[in-house]
Amino acid sequence: MFLITRRLAAGPALADLSRAARLLHVIAFMAAGDLRARYRRSVLGPFWMTLGTAAGTLGLGLVWSELLRMDRASFVPSLTAGLIMWQLLSGCITEATTTYWRQSAILRNLSVPLSMPPMQMLLKHLINFLHNLPVFVAVVLIFHVPAGWPTLLAVPGLLLVTANLLWMALLFSMLGARFRDFEYVVGAAMPVLMFLSPVFYRPSYLPFNGRFVWLNPLSHLIEIVRYPLLGGRPPGFVVLTTLLMALCGWTVTLWLFNAKRNRIAYWL
Amino acid sequence: MARLEFDRVTVQYPVYDVRAKSLRSRLVQMSTGGRIERASGVQIVTALRDVSFCLQDGDAVGLVGHNGAGKSTLLRTMAGVYQPSEGAVLREGRIATVFELGAGMDSELSGYENITRMGMLLGLGQDEIRARMDDIETFTQLGPFLRLPVRTYSSGMTTRLMFAVATSTRPDILLVDEIFGAGDAEFQARAAQRMEALIATVRIFVFASHDMAALKRYCHRFLRLEHGHAHEIDASEL
Repeated sequence: MFLITRRLAAGPALADLSRAARLLHVIAFMAAGDLRARYRRSVLGPFWMTLGTAAGTLGLGLVWSELLRMDRASFVPSLTAGLIMWQLLSGCITEATTTYWRQSAILRNLSVPLSMPPMQMLLKHLINFLHNLPVFVAVVLIFHVPAGWPTLLAVPGLLLVTANLLWMALLFSMLGARFRDFEYVVGAAMPVLMFLSPVFYRPSYLPFNGRFVWLNPLSHLIEIVRYPLLGGRPPGFVVLTTLLMALCGWTVTLWLFNAKRNRIAYWL
Repeated sequence: MARLEFDRVTVQYPVYDVRAKSLRSRLVQMSTGGRIERASGVQIVTALRDVSFCLQDGDAVGLVGHNGAGKSTLLRTMAGVYQPSEGAVLREGRIATVFELGAGMDSELSGYENITRMGMLLGLGQDEIRARMDDIETFTQLGPFLRLPVRTYSSGMTTRLMFAVATSTRPDILLVDEIFGAGDAEFQARAAQRMEALIATVRIFVFASHDMAALKRYCHRFLRLEHGHAHEIDASEL
């Protein structure tokens, strides 16, 4: 481990990341600008997304709770929390595959840190997430979801998710820049991962043993935030898996970034 | 004190064809042990070969050479966009580039917002941008159009905006890839004037162009690039 750390410190990966960290204010400005541009010609702006999430939750919640014969008061909050987490995860992962292509004009002409575009993209999706949060708050108020001290655990949970999403964003941006069809591979995998993750159901609802759900790494990233949002504590193994994912993911990503960082500009 | 030194710099990069850019064919290749594959579709291009030079305060250098001789690669390596595969590049001083204009521009955003965006990407702080806003506004002559989204601009107007921002930095080292020649005649005259004013303030100026008259006017050292090799030539050999 020590050897790996020393090798990385000598390479360009950490230097690039620390340069990007110092440009955080620029990254935040660019992310906010991207969102402003996206919603420029609409009345509600980013709240269209809030509205979309609200409509989706309402429709799915009402129909599915009948279909699955579930209690609305427990199903709808769980579904809402699952959906907004899924939007964050899938949005980041899918967009990461094209991030470097989209920003190629910048990367080919200016000497900016290459970890900047993935960070900008992640930040944009985190802002989107904040816009979806009011839907969940409304659901909490309507269905009297117990909120207390454990709810606050959602914040460290979200930080852990962000730590994981950052390495995913960086790794998938690189893979997407090198392999043009990686975008489609990920696009095809995401719906499968969605049904293998507890977005629409809790593992305990399944009529058969639902353990396979935990084989999907995204399940852990959803549950670590969803448990606290619904007023409980996340189980220990979820926290542990998330931490381990962050550790392993960052090791692999830093190693690859270190090896290929100087090539990325040529791939574009 | 600005300095730009190349010590035996070689830049090589792989160019991938469609097949090498595909993850699927990569995986097939791996699973068949690469036996059926003839060539893997990767070609190594050597864009710069063993290039050494040293530029110091007061140097204005013109780069000449055919298309594909490596002028743009050399400029990008100077700027730090491309990293050399061998050799070392030493940079001292703040660098600004005028290559393809408009990096970071978003056509949905207004002119003002884009000035801030592009300026920040060029390394300017918020207050520096605010301080130069007047100058940029005056040069673009876009007036109230700056409040409108850039997508409503004509191409000439967009060029004016991009050029104004790109030339609003105050660098030590200025790298320029042939950009004169956009917009109407009046704009071209003003662009040349602004460029000259900028060149006068920088310590090192590097300019790639096919325009011999412009080269002779702005530069006093010349590098000829041929197949990735660079050698210094005299003004009379241009």
